[in-house]
Amino acid sequence: MKAFGEIWRSNIFQKWLMALTGLLLVGFLLGHLSGNLLVFLGKEDINSYAHGLHTMGHGMVIWIVRLGLLSMFVLHVVAAITLSRRNRAARPTSYAKVTPRRSTIASRSMLYSGLLLLTYVLYHLAHFTWGVVHAENYVGQPGWQYTLADGTVVADVYRMVVASFQIPLVAVLYVLAMVMVGLHLNHAIASAFQTMGVTNKRIVPAIRSIGPLLSFIIAAGFSAVPLAILAGVVK
Amino acid sequence: MNLRLHIWRQSGPDAQGMLKTYDVQNVSEHMSFLEMLDVLNEDLLTKGEVPVAFDHDCREGICGTCGMVINGRPHGPLTRTTACQLHMRTFKDGDEIYIEPWRARAFPVMRDLIVDRGSFDRIIQKGGFVSVNTGNAQDGNAIPISKKDADRAMDAAACIGCGACVAACPNSSAMLFTSAKIGHLGSLPQGQTERSTRAMNMVLQMDAEGFGACTNHYECEAACPKGISAEFIAQMNKDFVASAFGGRD
Ligand code: HEM
Ligand code: SF4
Ligand code: FES
Repeated sequence: MKAFGEIWRSNIFQKWLMALTGLLLVGFLLGHLSGNLLVFLGKEDINSYAHGLHTMGHGMVIWIVRLGLLSMFVLHVVAAITLSRRNRAARPTSYAKVTPRRSTIASRSMLYSGLLLLTYVLYHLAHFTWGVVHAENYVGQPGWQYTLADGTVVADVYRMVVASFQIPLVAVLYVLAMVMVGLHLNHAIASAFQTMGVTNKRIVPAIRSIGPLLSFIIAAGFSAVPLAILAGVVK
Repeated sequence: MNLRLHIWRQSGPDAQGMLKTYDVQNVSEHMSFLEMLDVLNEDLLTKGEVPVAFDHDCREGICGTCGMVINGRPHGPLTRTTACQLHMRTFKDGDEIYIEPWRARAFPVMRDLIVDRGSFDRIIQKGGFVSVNTGNAQDGNAIPISKKDADRAMDAAACIGCGACVAACPNSSAMLFTSAKIGHLGSLPQGQTERSTRAMNMVLQMDAEGFGACTNHYECEAACPKGISAEFIAQMNKDFVASAFGGRD
């Protein structure tokens, strides 16, 4: 066996890290999306769901998930930056003329869509988790409570979401960020399976068409909430 | 036909290079691309100028020696065609053509369009072989190999080591070449004994040479004159981790 450090630093191992963490993050996005869509079912559903997340396992579960997500995110971003730097160094002189055949806008802009996603995630956390931007709409303030059907008083997440997305700039920023998610995942999902060595001749073509489709569903699904609120369909 | 060529000229490995413009007249559509450059070079020689240096050997698409980026595409605009097998009928009168060497840190330019592909040789030396005691020729069918495996091995063995995959890759990655070599021997029974160490050692050498990492653009597959499939890259990714976590060494 080679020393683990040497394997860890290798390009292919770093690619595996990026693929595994990326796919776990995609799994998280799917869960997050199904939660968000409860907004369309009404106040009761989304508020009891949010309350459930925060109280599950005496409030332990959410912290375990957060820790997991943070480590996935850090591993993914560090590997992405490491490999992107190596890739850049691998071609010190660029061509006067390049005529691509198979690469796509999505595949060529992975680092940029990723870095924009990183900025978005920080903004998103500052907004809905830490309540430091648009604080006037944050659930932490007095009076922003909701009484569930069973009598429990919980934070009125529904009100926070609706009040936030009624601000056109906020809604537009979120939708733009989702376009970035769609762009990143358009290449990423299928790419991850290639990285992890899927060679089956029947499965590969399926993955290559499901990847972009799933990325579109994720982007459109997340965008539906701010768009519906901005349009006044949800209020 | 008459053409305007923009060719990378560089007098030596450490010299500063630049694109220079040349006009060539009366090019026949039956000429190969390299013959067209031969005509240009005759012309340069009669004018007392230094001819354009480029690599070539078989001129029939089998040795992998020739290679240049023609209008932004390694080996030119056709698919599954080496530069030596590209003919001038692909172009038309008045065309402007950009001709550049392969660009990669691991393929330093020696002169004009010639690059040093020694990095490929060093990758091969790390395991692109099977260790057998040669002796009398073996009985042809002594080792049964299924048609599927034989076809797969032949598909990978078609790689001529030209380096177009590296030239086409936005990351200058050599993963198509290396995976073709690993996939060729890994598909055959003779290659099994060293399969694990081969994958590990060739991949680490590829990194050490300074090639980039694949981000699955598939530009390599599209540029490869032998149509090597990027499926071999996926297989190599799998072989590499299998070797890292459980392989013998
Ligand atoms: C919600 C967050 C994110 C998700 C779900 C995600 C998902 C993925 C997936 C599944 C891959 C494919 C891995 C592979 O092909 O091996 C990938 C690749 C990549 N990601 Fe992300 N990513 C996210 C955030 C980021 C961020 C913040 C960056 C910032 C640097 C980034 C940069 C990259 C790069 C450069 C690649 C390499 C492209 C490739 O090899 O195909 N990603 N991402
Ligand atoms: S894989 Fe194709 S492009 Fe790459 S070296 Fe082999 S023949 Fe040339
Ligand atoms: S000169 Fe041999 S492949 Fe072109």
